[in-house]
Order: sequence, then structure tokens, then C-alpha cells
Amino acid sequence: MITLYDYELSGNCYKLRLMMSFLGIGYKTVPVDFYPGREHKSEWFLKLNPLGQLPVLEDDGLLLRDAQAILVYLASKYDPSNRWYPRDNPALLGEISQWLAFADGITGTASAARLHDGLFYELDIDAARVGAHRLFRILDEHLWFGEQEGRDWICSANHPTIADVACFPYVILSEEGGIPRQDYPAIRRWCDRVKRIKGFIVMSGVFPAGPAKAA
Amino acid sequence: MNTRKCTDPVVLNLWHPIGAIDETPAGIVVETVLLEERVSLAKTADNVVAVWRSRPDLRAGDTVEIASIADRLPAKLAYGYVWTSLGSPPQDIFPIPEYAEGDRRKLNAATIGVNVSAPRAIENFLDMGHFPYVHTDILGVEPHTEVKEYDVEISVDRDEILATRCRFFQPMASTASDGGADVDYVYRVPHPFCSVLYKSSPLDETRRDVIAVFLQPVDQEHVRAHMMLCVLDEDNEDKVIKRFQQTIFGQDKPILENQVPKRLPLDPRAETPIRADKSAIAYRRWLSQKGVTYGVIPAAA
Amino acid sequence: MLEEARNRWHPIASTSDLPHRHVFHGQLMGREFAVWRADDGFVNVWENRCLHRGVRLSIGINDGRELKCQYHGWRYANRTAGCTYIPAHPADAPARTITNRTFPAVERYGLVWSAEEPIGEVPDIAGLAECDLLVLRAIPVNAPAGRVIERLKAHRFQPSGKLDAADGEISVEAAQEFSIALRSRYGGSETLAVFFVQPVDSNRSVIRGVLDHGVQGAGRIAVLRHHNERLSALRDLAEREAAAAPAPAPIEPVYERVSPELAELPELTTHGRKAALRVTVSKKWPAADGIAGFELRPVKGLLPTFHPGAHIDVHMPNGEIRQYSITNGPGETDRFVIGVKLERDSKGGSKCMHETVREGDVLAISEPRNNFPLRRDAVKTLFVAGGIGITPLLAMAQALKNQNLAYELHYFAQTEAQLAFPDRLEPLGNALKPHLGLSPEQTGAALRELLSSYKRDMHLYICGPGPMLEAARAVAAEQGWPETAVHFEYFKNTNMIDDSSSFQVALARSCVTLKVPAGKTILEAMREAGIDMPSSCEQGACGTCLATVIEGEPDHQDVYLSRSERESGTKIMTCVSRAKSARLVLDI
Repeated sequence: MITLYDYELSGNCYKLRLMMSFLGIGYKTVPVDFYPGREHKSEWFLKLNPLGQLPVLEDDGLLLRDAQAILVYLASKYDPSNRWYPRDNPALLGEISQWLAFADGITGTASAARLHDGLFYELDIDAARVGAHRLFRILDEHLWFGEQEGRDWICSANHPTIADVACFPYVILSEEGGIPRQDYPAIRRWCDRVKRIKGFIVMSGVFPAGPAKAA
Repeated sequence: MNTRKCTDPVVLNLWHPIGAIDETPAGIVVETVLLEERVSLAKTADNVVAVWRSRPDLRAGDTVEIASIADRLPAKLAYGYVWTSLGSPPQDIFPIPEYAEGDRRKLNAATIGVNVSAPRAIENFLDMGHFPYVHTDILGVEPHTEVKEYDVEISVDRDEILATRCRFFQPMASTASDGGADVDYVYRVPHPFCSVLYKSSPLDETRRDVIAVFLQPVDQEHVRAHMMLCVLDEDNEDKVIKRFQQTIFGQDKPILENQVPKRLPLDPRAETPIRADKSAIAYRRWLSQKGVTYGVIPAAA
Repeated sequence: MLEEARNRWHPIASTSDLPHRHVFHGQLMGREFAVWRADDGFVNVWENRCLHRGVRLSIGINDGRELKCQYHGWRYANRTAGCTYIPAHPADAPARTITNRTFPAVERYGLVWSAEEPIGEVPDIAGLAECDLLVLRAIPVNAPAGRVIERLKAHRFQPSGKLDAADGEISVEAAQEFSIALRSRYGGSETLAVFFVQPVDSNRSVIRGVLDHGVQGAGRIAVLRHHNERLSALRDLAEREAAAAPAPAPIEPVYERVSPELAELPELTTHGRKAALRVTVSKKWPAADGIAGFELRPVKGLLPTFHPGAHIDVHMPNGEIRQYSITNGPGETDRFVIGVKLERDSKGGSKCMHETVREGDVLAISEPRNNFPLRRDAVKTLFVAGGIGITPLLAMAQALKNQNLAYELHYFAQTEAQLAFPDRLEPLGNALKPHLGLSPEQTGAALRELLSSYKRDMHLYICGPGPMLEAARAVAAEQGWPETAVHFEYFKNTNMIDDSSSFQVALARSCVTLKVPAGKTILEAMREAGIDMPSSCEQGACGTCLATVIEGEPDHQDVYLSRSERESGTKIMTCVSRAKSARLVLDI
């Protein structure tokens, strides 16, 4: 049984809950009192992850940290369709890795701003917001041209990949860090599409989408 | 520059919560913002607290001898939080008698920053109609959407709003039946920016869990919401209880942050009330009668 | 400058920003919009604020027909923006017209145009032809519109056919306050680009560019990228300039106040309005054997918001007035569709509709009234329709289907050819249960079977001929359905009205006492005394002229009130019912 060390309000933990829901696999959670208890800096947790960060996932004796790394693992192991992380398509794997790194950038900016506003983290809030807007401009432009070329997802496949899962949570939660998405209409449409993927689940702060129009 | 930001005497003279005592380290300066002013607090190991307007010689993180602090603001410890005031506060903070009951679990579920005025957040706390839509499958579920008639009074002697006979359908309300059932609620608003909720306990039919929200107004459109739990629960770890409450609050957050205008309009014609909003209507009237102007858009005279 | 700009049309979105089932978040001069396209193609531009508690509707759900607020599930109809359902009070028809503020929307040149208070039409743009355009990616800029326009005057780009050549020669073809047309020429190629600058707020804008010719094939993306690069560079420059200047304060939008009656807590009674609307019969067709379908479209403006179960009065050319239920599904707000059965003993109502009224005719109708409201908080809803009684239930079934709620529609008719509105029945799929050609005994047996499954929180709606309705109500009572779960609408009152009594009626709030002699109704006596009271069928079936009884014993002769409502003695239908006591006090 997979074990997820989890905090409900964490977008990085949500990435994994979302991925496992898309993949239809079961898991159990160990709640970590990230806030206000700072349990991720506790002695027992630091043994699991010396970086003191969520999430951590344990599967079959394997202990993994880092949301993006765990997405790679889950999709490689549990996706018989081989679509979320297509192991035999080098170009696509390259693209996916590029956007996983981009997702780290979103975490470093949009998620940081959210931690500042919601949980009072001390950091340069203006820099975090400016950084997030810079990334959102890039993502919106990328998605807009994708739509023009008939592509719905972040990478150039006709189906979503773990890159979409990695980028989605802290984009959809950005308003909690004072980063509106009004200027990113292509991002807003992509968010609707992600919400309509079969198996989509919400977390606190994320609303579901309505049904798509029947073809 | 020492311009006073909040000029509302009613709000200046209130007690306001500024931090959970258990999360305040002993002997170290902690800084926060209240009514657009920076204030600092510190406590001793045995929870003697001091609060003062922040000053350059005592910065956040500095160690401090509590006894040495001069020019203090009023300070009180109540319900697990440090309270202060920028004006002349009343003798006492409103009562929550259940807090004294020894068998209850008392904890700060979390203190969370929200980009909304305090009165908007109070109104949401009083609201049941959103349960099926915002707290889907937890506090409510479609099609059970009805807000049944309930009673609201403004208690004159206690100067608080009381909503009783509130009931709302909750899925998995009890472990005994697989269907849902109506759950009883009582709401109190004993302070313009604080509300206390009593909810039937799944463990003991004769008693109620107490959940309170104490809002620290950072400015007119930002709050720190302190969520106090005082519940009957012998089984669950603290962090499980906190997780549940944070999940609920996290669901309300995007609604609160998408309300426009952010300050609560007191003009009866600014928004459209329905019968389900009786407690909110009473609350808006009560704020108007008190002359509260901070965090609200007062009705034109 | 911005004051005047309120009267101008501005582009607020690209057509491609509005795919189906999406809500676009727009803004113009500080005022936010929720912009959404319904499944019928209509583009709605609304104040971005639910009238209930101010929550942005841009986070709501577009279900193709209605927009649902995320906070309390209030539903607003396509086109009219009228609230159609308030889930917190499922038993009430929304008694008041709660209508969100709407703004005009016009799609032109691949853009969606709107304005706060526009004067005139969307301007014709010289050089742009509707059928052959290329709409560029919109570029939001954190700078005032005026500064962006200034920058655009020095903007450079290449003709679409010569992207790789040296710089094209630019000429300014036209320049206005919020738009500029530039032409680029190089080696025989030329491209006209019109740039509109949408003033989003005092310090924010969006550049929306349109080229005078489409580009086919791979070159299309290259042209789009070329302009995106150039405009992004312009944006960066304008933003740097704006950041160096003092930022103007954001524009505070002024929200309209709701009407005074909306600010009060609603009473539980419903008041229809008498104002007649003029509609054109845009389509008339055989909806089934013996049933004519009519599609009624407004002569001008919009039709009012309707709720499932509502009816309208139709004023006919021969002076008769009849009530017909609206069969429309949710969001179908550009027309009312009614079904009229030709009655054998027609006194001129249905006969006139069948024989005289034609496509193109203009009729007067009342605003929709709903005395047969649909709850949507049932775990399952059963509809039982007999013959033409299908019409209100059809509207209800379509509403529940749209919300994915559980229901069954049992439709009793003699033959399949008598099932009305097959085009509307078909999409209901398995939820439609036709019962054809049954004798009265067989009908009774079928009713017993289908009503045998009562569970808490189920609701039953019945509409059909009197005898069938009586039978269904009796079976439901027998099978343990509580009266509060059984809702019905008679389409006529077949009771013999006894109007031989005479009595006094005191109107408590109006402070008048009236004599009601034999042969006259309470309603008539009130009207003669100049007291306004809404009414519709005037035969005790529709529920419009309901009044509250404060004192006295009513002599009920209607078919609208339920048994317990009759027994409570607190309600009366003033069009047919009378008094057993010498005096009746009404809350009017």
C-alpha cells in the first residue's frame, strides 16, 4: 500500500492526490501538521526527508521526496496506458522535464506568495508575485499558441501528461497569494480542461468545473 | 510617522486576538499587525504576556525580559489567545462558559490570513446555505439544500446576536446511519469580529461542540482568522481535528476572497437577502446600530 | 477621458476567449464582467457579482443554459440574467424578479464588444472585412490606455507575406483615442493592422489587434508569433514607463443598488404583474395529434425570466384569455414555447389558437406566473402527466435533467402520436415512461405501481385532466405520500361554482369593507372598488389570485388549494371561492 505523508492545504501534496486519483490507485495518508505545528521540521519527519519538506511518499519500501519526482515515479509505475509519462518518447520526456522544472518555479513564486499571505511566511512578497506573473505570462502565451495549433495540454501530446498535473495546483491556488489570473485567459481555459479530466478531485480552495458540452 | 490608521472608536476600544498563546515562544518578541499598526507581543514561560506598539529597539525574534517592557497596551489571555486593544477596552471579554469544562479538547486549529474584511468572514461563518456547494459531502450535499426556518434575536442585555433552532442536513451526520441527518446549530455573535458556533456532538447527544472564529483585523480588507476548537473528542489526534477544520476553512477562503466589495455593505439595498439570511441581516443591523465603520461600507445617512 | 469612454463600445474579449461552458473574466474601466457563451450561442456580459452576497460570477459554473454561483448555487438564466432558482428555499418560486445587471454584447471582427452605456452601434472599421481576418493574441499591459496608444503610434511590424524581410514601411491610417490603424508595406506586400486598446482600469489595458487578412497554413502561426513578439516588446516598454510614473488610483466601480423590494425579506406570496408583453408567433406546428405548438418571440427586447411550472396568459384575437404553461427548458430564453390542445367543446380559446392564429401574428401575453413551483431538493422527483398536462412537467423535467437530478416522467396518453413535443421528450431518454392506451382501471393500476415506492424526500408533481388527477392524488395518499410531497395543477376547474351567497369582505391592509352580492366574485368586487389584485384563469385553477384569510370561514370552490390548506382556512382563491360566514377578513 502506498503511504502519502500529507497536508491538506499543500498544493504539492495535492499534486500527488490528484495524480493517484487520475491513475485510480489507492493509498493511505499520514497527516502531517505542517501548520501551525511545523511537524515537517520534527525529528521523525526529518528522518524521512532531511530537507524537511512535504510531500513524502513511501511505496514498497521505496521512500521518495519531491512532488515532481514522485509524479514521475507514480506515472512510470502505475499507468498502463503509458500516457502520463510516455517512457518511449524521448522528445516528449524532454518536454515534460522542462515543464516539471517550470512547475518548481511556480512553487518558488506563486506558492511562496500564498504561504506569505495565508500562513505569514517571512519573504519578499513583491518579488514572489512579480516572479509568478512572469511565469504565468510565459505559460499563458504557450497555452494560447497551443490552442491555435489544436493542442489542449502543456506538452505536445493529444492528452495530458504529468506536466499538467505538476503545474496545475499552484496556478489554481494563485489568488490566495494575491496573484489574480484575469490577465491569463488561456491559463483559465486550460484550468477548466484539467478539471474535466476523468478522475479529477478538488482540494480546499479549488472548485470543480461543470460538465463539458456534449459533442 | 505615527498616523493612526483606524479611526473607528467602536473598533479601537474592542479586545482583539493577536496570537495563539501555545504558538508564542517564551521570551521572544513576536510581531503582528492590528488595525494597520504593528504590535509586538512576548510571554514568559508561565504565560505572563506583554503587548506593545512595535518599536525599533525590540524587533521580531529578539529575546526580551517581559518585566522590562514599558508603554504596554492592554493585554489579556482568553480561550488560548492573547488579546489586546488600541483603545480603552471593556473589563471582560465575552464569555464562553463551555471553555471551562475539563473534559473538552481545546486547540487553535490554525491562524490563517484571508484577503477579506472581518465582517464578511463573520457573515460566512453564520451562513448555512453554502454547505452543499462549498463544503460538498462534508457539511452538506445536494439536493438537500433547504435552510429551514430558524430564530434570530439581538440580545439586549448581553449585546450579542443569537441564532437558534438552526438545522441543516449533513451527510454522514452520525456513524450509526449511512444516510445523512439534520444537525443542530446555535450561532452567537458576541463581538463585531468574533462568532461562536455550537454544533450537536456526535459523541454526546446532550452536549455540543464549540467552534469559534476570532478575527484579527489587519486592515479593512485583510484578517488573520484564529479558529478555536473546544470539542468533545477522545479518540482523534490533535492534528486530525485540526486538519478537518483547516479543510473546511480552506474551502471558504476562495469564496471570501472573491466577494466584491471586500468590505461588508450595510446599505440594505446593496445586496439581496433571503429568509435564510436572517442572522446576516441582524448582524448588519447590529453593526449599523453600534456605529461600526471599520471593515464595512456604512449605509448612506 | 474615461467618462466619455463609458459611452463607447470597446472590445472586451476575443471570440475565441468564449468556448462553450467557460466563464471569461473581463473588465472595462474598473468594472468587472463575467462573460459567458450559452450553448445556443448567446454571449452574456454581466456584472461580475452575484446579487446575493457579491461573489464573483467569473468563478461560477456555465452549464450551457444557466450560470450557477459557487457560493449558494443560485442560478441565473442565459440572456435575461434573471435568477431562476434559490436552493436555500426550494419550495418557493422566486417571488421577486432578481435580475443581474447585464451589459450589451456584440461579436464583430472576431472580438466581443461591450460598453457600460453605449451610444450607437459598434463602429465600422475601415479596411476590415468580417469574413477574412486574423485576430492576434491579446496583450494585457500594466499601463494606462493613453500611454499604450502613444507607444502604438511608433509600432513596427512586417506585412504577413514578408516576415523575414527588412523592416516594412509603416503608415498610420487612422488614430483615435482607443484605437489605431497601421499599414505595413514591403516589396509589394502590405498588411493593415488595427489595434484596439481596451481600458481595463486606470493603469491597465489590453491591446487587441486584428489583421485585415487571414493567413492559411503554417504561415498563420508565424504571423501570430511575429505580432506577439512585437507587441510584447511594446508592452515591456510601456510598462517600464508606467512604472516610473506615479500610478493613478484604480477606478472604483459603482454598483447599482437592488430595488427596494429586493432589500426587504420576501413575503411568501407571489404577485404576478399584469403588464402585457407583445410577442410574435414565430412558429406554429403540430406538436402532436390535436396539439398545436407555438413559438412566441418578443416583438422587441427580451422576454422576462420564467421558472419551470410557470404559465402565461395569452390574449387572443377574439378577446378570449387562456393560460398555457411554458414548456421551455432552462436557459431557453429567446422564446416561449407553448402547446395548445384543441378542445372539443372549445368556447373559442383553443379553437381560435388552432384555426385563426398564424405564424407572424402578434399576440399579447402576460408575464410568466408560477403558482406551480418546482422543488429541486428531492432525492427523486416523479412527474405524472396526463395528455396536455405534460406542458408544465416538461419544463420541470428539462430543468432537473440539466442539473443531473433524479426524476421520472410518467406520461399517460392514448397513442404514441398524442405524445406532445417529441423533440423535447427524446433527450430525456430512459427517464421518460410513456403509458399508452390505458383504460381508467389500467391507469389506476399503473398509478398504484409507480407511486408504490415513496421514500422520504421524494416529491410528486401531477398535471392532467381532473379525473386522472383526482385518481393520482387518491392513490398517492393511499400509498403513504404526505400531502406536502404531492404537488398538482389542474388546467381547469370542473366544479360547478355556486355563487348564490352574499357576504361582506373586509380588506385589513386596505381598510375597506366590501359587499359581495350573489352572482359576483370577491375579485370582481375588489376590482370595482379599485383594488388591484393579480389574477389569471379566474376559475380557481391557477393560484394567481390567492389571498390570506385573517378571519371568517371560506367557502372553497377552487381546485388549487390542497386539502390541508383548505382545512386550515387561512387561504382563499378570490376568483371563485366565497364565504360561509357573514364576514371574511382578508390580508389585502
